[in-house]
Amino acid sequence: MKKEIISSPVGVCCVKATLDSGLQVFIVEKKDYDSAYALFGTKYGSIDTVFSRDGENFTQVPEGIAHFLEHKLFESEDGDAFTRYAETGAYANAFTSFDRTCYLFSCSDNFEKNLEILLDFVQSPYFTAETVKKEQGIIGQEIRMYEDSPSWRVLFNMLLAMYQNHPVRIDIAGTTDSIAKIDDKLLYECYNTFYHPSNMFICIAGKVDANAVLEQIEKGIKKNDKAIIIRGEHPESDSVLSTYTEQNLQVAQPLFCYGFKLKTQGIMPLFDRVCFQAALDILAGDNSDLFEDLMNKSLINDEFDTEVFCGNGYASVIFSGESKEPEAVKNAINREIARLIENGIDDKIFEAVKRGMYGDAVKRFNSVQSIGMQLCEAAVSGDEVFGDLEKLSKITKQDVTRCLKQLKEETSVLSVVKSKE
Amino acid sequence: MNSNSAIKIADGVEGIFIKNTRFNTTLISLNFYMPLKNETVSINAMLTYVLSTCSGRFGGFKEMNRHLNMLYGADVAVSAMPVGNTQLIRFVITAINDKYTIGGEKNVSAAADYLLSLLFEPRLENGVFCQADLLRERRKMLEDLEAELNEKRNFARKRLKEEMFENDPFGLNKLGTSQAISKITEAGLKKALDDMLKSAFISVHAVGETLPEGLFEKIGERFSALKRENITNCKTLPAPKMRDTVKEVTDRMDVVQGKLVMGFTSSVYGDDNVSLPLMVAVDIFGGGPYSRLFSVVREKMSLCYYCSASSVRSRGFVMVDSGLEAENAEKAKNEILNQLEIVKNGEFSDFEFNSSIKSICGSLKSYNDSLSSVDLWYALKIYNENLTSPEEMCEAVRKITREDVIAAAKGISLNTVYMLLPEAK
Repeated sequence: MKKEIISSPVGVCCVKATLDSGLQVFIVEKKDYDSAYALFGTKYGSIDTVFSRDGENFTQVPEGIAHFLEHKLFESEDGDAFTRYAETGAYANAFTSFDRTCYLFSCSDNFEKNLEILLDFVQSPYFTAETVKKEQGIIGQEIRMYEDSPSWRVLFNMLLAMYQNHPVRIDIAGTTDSIAKIDDKLLYECYNTFYHPSNMFICIAGKVDANAVLEQIEKGIKKNDKAIIIRGEHPESDSVLSTYTEQNLQVAQPLFCYGFKLKTQGIMPLFDRVCFQAALDILAGDNSDLFEDLMNKSLINDEFDTEVFCGNGYASVIFSGESKEPEAVKNAINREIARLIENGIDDKIFEAVKRGMYGDAVKRFNSVQSIGMQLCEAAVSGDEVFGDLEKLSKITKQDVTRCLKQLKEETSVLSVVKSKE
Repeated sequence: MNSNSAIKIADGVEGIFIKNTRFNTTLISLNFYMPLKNETVSINAMLTYVLSTCSGRFGGFKEMNRHLNMLYGADVAVSAMPVGNTQLIRFVITAINDKYTIGGEKNVSAAADYLLSLLFEPRLENGVFCQADLLRERRKMLEDLEAELNEKRNFARKRLKEEMFENDPFGLNKLGTSQAISKITEAGLKKALDDMLKSAFISVHAVGETLPEGLFEKIGERFSALKRENITNCKTLPAPKMRDTVKEVTDRMDVVQGKLVMGFTSSVYGDDNVSLPLMVAVDIFGGGPYSRLFSVVREKMSLCYYCSASSVRSRGFVMVDSGLEAENAEKAKNEILNQLEIVKNGEFSDFEFNSSIKSICGSLKSYNDSLSSVDLWYALKIYNENLTSPEEMCEAVRKITREDVIAAAKGISLNTVYMLLPEAK
């Protein structure tokens, strides 16, 4: 086992260990807290639709299978993990996103027992034709629930119009048709490929003893042969499929997502992500001229938000909100980008935004969940743990301007959800 | 940690310092409690919009947000909500502690000062709020009200509450009505602010490592300078005015999935001293994964994608909330009622009972790990005769027996059924 201690500028330390099996473990002790949070994840999400274990034979799996697998893993031959957690009083859950699937619990008592349950059920798949069929009904209902969610639809419609090949364009849960093609054999194939310790990580924060936890994890991880995972490539052009997309749902006023597609290879480096976040705050944060102008013209409300959205092979920045005139918001954003590039960024605003981002980063150390999610992010992206504060201190106005120059209208997509006229 | 005591800092103004050394930040909240009334619910809620977006000292929202950035990204959160028989209007600021600032600034005191300035230094013109500020915030508030339609799960819950409490102020929308919002004037809003400062019961919370020096004294001085009168009594909880017949309402909309929300009254309600068994009964009925609604209605019978129960104990309100296929709605409704009968008859297992107690206590014991949860805990417990900490409540929950749970469950009665279904083909 390789072990190192990583310190954050605000005095929080992380024990990072790589076990012989390849499993990465991140632990932050917060002994003055009453609770602890633990997450067992795999670098496997909805975008992993094509893969090979020998480099020759590639398997294409139905859309939504990673999410399906997440649902099924809670079950075992003699009951489900929720029942076991009910006996300890822990809160348990799981989630699947584009590039990861994570199983988690939080508790104020019985941490050791809860971790034992987590290690056990995630490493004990149990799928049968009958249980798969039953789950198809439940997930079908979940998919239908998201079909009624305008905020979900407006984002996925944008991704569908932005990406031509990359599977980030598909819905995380898949479709009722795609999940109908899932069977127990396919689930085992995905499990045996991606749920290998060398592709997995455990992140823990809270009232724990790092050495004792590491020892428990080492004992609880099953031995496996070395895994080979070759992910299918999805060459993506710089252009978008369509610059505008619209759907009708019953909503009060139109919802919009306006995204700029960014060129990227692999995962966008942390420094760039921090720069883009600063660029978005300067361009459209609630202290910006643009925000003030759009608000005073009744074009946005407090739902307006921005996001740097990226993962393996995809990156974009997104402006979202509600507006009676989404097209006018889009035009104003593009005008302001051009103005900032031409006139430069005001020193005072740059410093205020950096200071605000510093404060936000400090606040993220307050909760064990938030620390756990930071560790998870580092595990998946390969970034240095707690690296954002150091990167933030280094960014310059020139870095921000370089980011703004990458926002090109011709590779942007406006997605709108509105009621039928 | 034992319960934190409230100290009187002015007439009808109390201060509670919740010492908690584990956070990098300090939170300060000003909680104003006023009678929950149809005539004032909108205008009081409007105060949260206007006071947080324009300032006599800092100017407009852009300048205010720049100032907050300079306070190391201090967050201001405002909200309006019903609590017991009152309307709670909240102004909350969270700022990083002084020791984490780069330049050694007195960040927490500056944040407290900013928060107080929102209330005591509003931007006025000729003694009333500015028209442009009112118009902008009125538009936003109306849009927020209309947007309640967007997310159908929340919309269905809101509709159930409106229908069920049609004769009681608890059914009022937290923002009131579009008609009332549209009628708010610059002078009317100023009067609402004056009334709030003079007559609301006020609870000031500070959660963090240390109580900012002189905070309660400063706030006390501000309020002592006002003529405080007719102060809201938060401790009385008259029984809600309810229909005695069951009402069924169905809305149809362009949706794919249906929603079934059921509202129940409870004869057990009010102070934690009497209403805790209701919390356990509702949890066994539809709380965690061990509950009847999750394990039977969702998992075993696959009637819903989600199906859970919750309660507002101050008003004796129990709600079951589910998402389902329209054709399953009647069957699901009957099964939900069947599961309630099972709880009433005490036919739940020791596993369900024990799991519920453990889950509730587990959640209570982790409250002190979240700054905002601790603050909200005390803000929402205002109707209790005595301040109780999460740990003390956990101890009380552990003493609850099966018989207590059965007695509380027996007092639960169906009142309203609301369905949101796809348009008929």
